[in-house]
Amino acid sequence: MRVSTLLAAALLISAPAFAQQSGDVANGKNHFDNDGCWQCHGYGGQGAALTGPRVARTALTFDQFLNQLRHPANAMPPFEAPIVPDATARDIYAYLESMPKPPEAKDIPMLYATKGK
Amino acid sequence: MEKPRLDRRGFLKGAAVAGGATIAVEAPALAQTTPAQPKAPGPSAAQMAAETEHPGEGEHLTTEKTGSDFMVDVCKTLNIDFMAACPGSTFRGFQESFINYGKNTKPEWLTCMHEEVSVGMAHGYAKVAGKPMAAMVHGTVGTQHAAMAIYNAWCDRVPIIMFTASAGPVEDRRPGIEWFHSVQDGAATVRDFTKWDDYPWSLQSFAESTVRAYQLATAQPQAPVLITADGKLQEMELSKAANAQLSIPKLNHPTQASADPDALKDLAKMLVAAENPVIFADRYARSQKGMDDLVKLAEALQAPVIDQQNRMNMPTTHYLCQSSRGGPLLAQSDFVLSLEPQDIYGTLNKMTDQLERKTGSKIKKTTKVASIGTHDLMVKANYQDFQRYNATDLQITADPEASMPWLIEAVLREVGDRKSAFDARGEKMRAAYKNFANNARKAGALQWDSSPIGGARLFAELWEVVKNEDWAFVTPNAYSGNWQHKLWPMEKHYQYIGSSGGSGVGYEPVGALGAALAHKQAGGRLPIAVIGDGNFNMAPHTMWTAAHHSIPYLAIIQNNRAYHQEVMHIQRMANRHNRGVESGVIGTTMTDPNIDYARLAEGYGAVGIGPITDPKDLNAAFKKGVAAVKAGQPVLIDVVMQPRG
Repeated sequence: MRVSTLLAAALLISAPAFAQQSGDVANGKNHFDNDGCWQCHGYGGQGAALTGPRVARTALTFDQFLNQLRHPANAMPPFEAPIVPDATARDIYAYLESMPKPPEAKDIPMLYATKGK
Repeated sequence: MEKPRLDRRGFLKGAAVAGGATIAVEAPALAQTTPAQPKAPGPSAAQMAAETEHPGEGEHLTTEKTGSDFMVDVCKTLNIDFMAACPGSTFRGFQESFINYGKNTKPEWLTCMHEEVSVGMAHGYAKVAGKPMAAMVHGTVGTQHAAMAIYNAWCDRVPIIMFTASAGPVEDRRPGIEWFHSVQDGAATVRDFTKWDDYPWSLQSFAESTVRAYQLATAQPQAPVLITADGKLQEMELSKAANAQLSIPKLNHPTQASADPDALKDLAKMLVAAENPVIFADRYARSQKGMDDLVKLAEALQAPVIDQQNRMNMPTTHYLCQSSRGGPLLAQSDFVLSLEPQDIYGTLNKMTDQLERKTGSKIKKTTKVASIGTHDLMVKANYQDFQRYNATDLQITADPEASMPWLIEAVLREVGDRKSAFDARGEKMRAAYKNFANNARKAGALQWDSSPIGGARLFAELWEVVKNEDWAFVTPNAYSGNWQHKLWPMEKHYQYIGSSGGSGVGYEPVGALGAALAHKQAGGRLPIAVIGDGNFNMAPHTMWTAAHHSIPYLAIIQNNRAYHQEVMHIQRMANRHNRGVESGVIGTTMTDPNIDYARLAEGYGAVGIGPITDPKDLNAAFKKGVAAVKAGQPVLIDVVMQPRG
């Protein structure tokens, strides 16, 4: 629990200033959960084979993110402005940026106990 | 000793009394509008005639040996271990002969609750056992029920010996239901996706057609076959003299067609000359030998293999198993060899399904393409399972597994001074291979603690519990994120059996049941089924068949409470029309109420565990489940999971 709290605090400090200033994280979460983002990218934005890549703490800039939303590569359905306005997209982006950092694979022994290759 | 006989006159008398009683009960309602009737009505003229006149001579049906006994004799020569069926009156004679005359052994009769299960479990069984089992389906309605499962097996190129029946000639049919279940051409419903069918009109013909059907089903390309057992033939008396005149042809297992040696030489030259060859293996390996031979070919060339995972083709622990990077390898390839392909076009091309439809090639224009396969030997006109046409530079029509030893020999003869170049290529493959597991671990870590539970966590936790068991997956992997292929050492042919073939939803529980039966027969392996909730709901009663026949397996329900593929399709349509995706859950999700799969399993007599929502609870659930499977029970564990693994 203590580790989680520290982690969350660290994330708040390190989150991009742009997202903090320009997006409403709570509203972004609301849209992430209700506009179907989770259906392909998972509830935690972790991504899944077949459906969509990881989006949690995305490395894309907001412009790149917006471009992907409007003109997606691969199988993602396009979300045009009447459905997800720029301001809402900004909120979703802020939520993605605010997502907690996942654990490192090296810290999960069980992942190394499987194939061992 | 004389057997007791049913007294027909007494039976009719009883029926008349019962009929009178029914009328008497209904009388008070009529009394309000009609004058009082004198007590009970007397017998009708027909009833009087039946009671007083001499009954006509009926067909004597009691007999010691019947045509269906001979049909059982025929089936016993085929070394078929199981006959799966949901009962149906059109094959009542056949069934009675199996269980009494045939002593219910070889084949043993298995009780299924839907014809789709009977055929689907035969589908899964054949892929593990390496030989077909049989399924019996009711006339007309049973064949209709079975149709999707037959189509799946057809597309998956899997042999099944199927029987259906018809009630016989018009003068023998009882009015009503027997007419609904009778048909002039019972196989017509499924002829588009069976390799062969016949409606034999004599017992000798039945024997010859059934043996022929078995041979055709098991010759590459393998597929289901269907024999109609006529009701009259089933139930007719078979005298000793008539029986003595019948003969059952000897079953001769066909060898599979090997490739033209000259074509293999040409192929070997092309493979050796290529700088960046890629080998695709689709429905290639039918046996461990097939897998071992593919490793030999890959090593001879130091060429990467993309296992398309419709069979267990290539050990996941081998550095030349490069299934994780099919796209990049194709992009740089100058030669592609496809083994038993179903869809070369789909392998080499892509199509987007967005606001615009775009197609494009995954390979360079100069890349040469060759194939060895039998797909084109069994193409029909109506159903489009033959996929889009794609020209190749060398198409060898033959069984690739049977041809592989000769191809390896031809390649080894051609290698010459190319060996150092091959070794250098092999080193690159080793380096790439090392990254696969690390990439998978990184991806797995992202969803490690998530609830609903992620696929990587599920499979990693499962491995901890079963790693010392002789395990085998009996369901496809695509919708669970391919995590077993990414994380587990899969080296044995029986450890994975591929997909449904035709993507008919409902294959997973029924195919798993049949595959689990074959694993039990093979000596008590631990079958693992990871079944989507949408798939499971097509045949939840498979758990009863498993419990009834003591077929142990671990069924993990990948419960995302949706037909998730369809959620995404509706989402795509809504976006194309700029209507938003909020309503995409209507008609595609299974919530409100959530389904309690563990209780459902318990109701069918299996062990039910769950729902599991916290990944920390997986270990205890798996330990309990595996212990029960090892004790001989079918087990269902309900795991609430991410939309996609």
